[in-house]
Parts: sequence; structure tokens; C-alpha cells
Amino acid sequence: MTLTALEGALLLFVVGCALGAALLRDTLASVMSFAAYSLGVSIIWLILQAPDVGLTEAAVGAGIMTILLLVALANTVTPDADRLLEPVNVRTVLLVGTFVLVMAATVPALPAIGDPSSPVVGGEVTQYYLDNAYEQTDVKNAVTAVLAAYRGFDTLGEAVVVFAAGVAALTVLRREVFA
Amino acid sequence: MSVDDQPGLYVESTIIMTTVRVVAPFVLTFALFIMFHGADSPGGGFQGGVIAGSVVLMLAFAYGIESTRQWLDVRVVVALAAGGVLTFASIGLGTIVLGGQFLQYTEYEVFLSHASKYGIELVELGIGAIVASVAIGLFFLLAAGFGHVVDEEGEA
Repeated sequence: MTLTALEGALLLFVVGCALGAALLRDTLASVMSFAAYSLGVSIIWLILQAPDVGLTEAAVGAGIMTILLLVALANTVTPDADRLLEPVNVRTVLLVGTFVLVMAATVPALPAIGDPSSPVVGGEVTQYYLDNAYEQTDVKNAVTAVLAAYRGFDTLGEAVVVFAAGVAALTVLRREVFA
Repeated sequence: MSVDDQPGLYVESTIIMTTVRVVAPFVLTFALFIMFHGADSPGGGFQGGVIAGSVVLMLAFAYGIESTRQWLDVRVVVALAAGGVLTFASIGLGTIVLGGQFLQYTEYEVFLSHASKYGIELVELGIGAIVASVAIGLFFLLAAGFGHVVDEEGEA
């Protein structure tokens, strides 16, 4: 698998931002690094030809999450950063490093992007959606067709989860605020 | 008096207020575009809802959180979220009433053509309402934080 210069630069940027978010001692810098990480990942989704996911990542990860974290930060007292980076725990590095190695070992087994012989592209289910989505649901975006029509019941569950989680968080926070 | 009076949290800036006033309608339009056009291009209720919610967050940054909260009642926000769930669920259950399966949009074909497309648009709009109002509600409550406790004690 070969990387173009853009993909390589993006991957470096994302990994760098992730390290920054994890290691920077200043919380504000860490939040900003996390936002940049989300933006980088959303562009990677675009390169992987998943614009729906990229849009979500950009709007939720880089947008709303950053704002909520910043607002939460504004309500807390942040101690002055006495040094640039967090101290690194060797055992944590070993554990996380092992996990990354195990995950990385599966990468060569993945099919190339857009590989016509990959099981997803050739799969019966994928082909059914691509062939029938427009006639059966009247929408051109097959992702939306799956989301709102074929798997509509799952999406209703998802929406209710967002609603329930939101209401629960609001109830708990409200009690905290007005206690 | 309010969260806005704390130093460093809110700075009244003509530049920010003017920018937000000019940009906000376009962002809201873009959010609705993402929601409605999600049927034919990337996007949908989840993404559009977040963008719509960010309009209110933008207003709060420009005009102060407290005044935005007064302008947009929290009850309206919660009603919007509940309305989204009800819209989605009633579209799904309506097809059962008409004798079909859950969310079998084609059952609505007797009322209007392209029922499937419009049904999906409505569902996306419902999802958008849920996501937007949850984002706005979380932001309001997180922003209330300590400022509100001080506020309550001051009035008591």
C-alpha cells in the first residue's frame, strides 16, 4: 500500500495531534489539539470516500465537542502549567504500545481502498442496497436509504438514545446547578 | 449578576456580533440544506442537527450566554427534542396503522406521490431536531455552571 504525500502528511498530523491531546499539560492546549485531531480525521474520512462520516466527525468532534469542552473548562479553575508535557508512565506506554502493535498487525490484512474484490464491495447485501435503494426508497444517497429506510428501526433507537442521554444529562446537571 | 459578568467569559465585541449576525442565517440555511439534501448527497439529520445547534452556540458567544438563554427558553429546546422523537416514531407507527410494516414509507403513497422520499426527509428533520436541541441544552447547562449558583444565592 502506498501513501500519497497528502495522506502521509495527514496521518502524521493526526498522530501528532493525538499525542498532543494526550501529553500536553495545559488543558486548553490539549482541547485545541483534540479539535485539530478531529478535523484531520474528518479529512481522512473524505479521502476514504466516506463523506457522511467525515461530515459528522467535523461537526461533532471538531465543532460541538470542542465548544462543550471549552465551556466546561471556563467553569473550572485550571492550575498554571508548570511544564509543557505530562509525565509519562512507562507501564501505560508499554500497555498502549502493545495494543497499538496488535491493532497494526491487522492492517496488512485489510483490502486496499476501493478494491473491487474486497468482501464489502462484492457482498450480496451491499450490492442489493446499491441496486435497489433508489427504486425502493426514492433517495439517491444510499447511506441515507440504509439509515432511514432499510435500517430505520435502528436509527429510531439511535435517535431515542441521543434523546434519552440528553434528557438524563440535562436532569442531572440541572440538579447540580440548582442544588 | 450572571455568568456574563465574570471576567474573561464574555467580551462584548462589535466585530464578533456583526460577523455572527451576517453569518448565522447562512449557517442555519446550510444546516437545513444538509438535513434536507442528505437524501441525495452526503449529510442528514445528525450532521445538520449539529450545525443547526451550533448557530445558537454562535449567538451565545456573540451576545452572551445569559441573553441567549432568555431569548431561547430551555423548555422550547426540550419540546423540540421530544417533538423530534414523536415525529420519527409517529411516521414509523403510522405505516402500521395503514396496514403496513414499521416505517414502510410506501404505505403513505395513497396520500402523496414520492411518499418514501418525503417520509425520509421528515425523519431526518426529526433526527435533526433531537440532535440540535440536545446540543443546545447541554451547552446551556454546562455554561450555567457556577455562575448560576452564585446567581441563585445572590437573589435568595
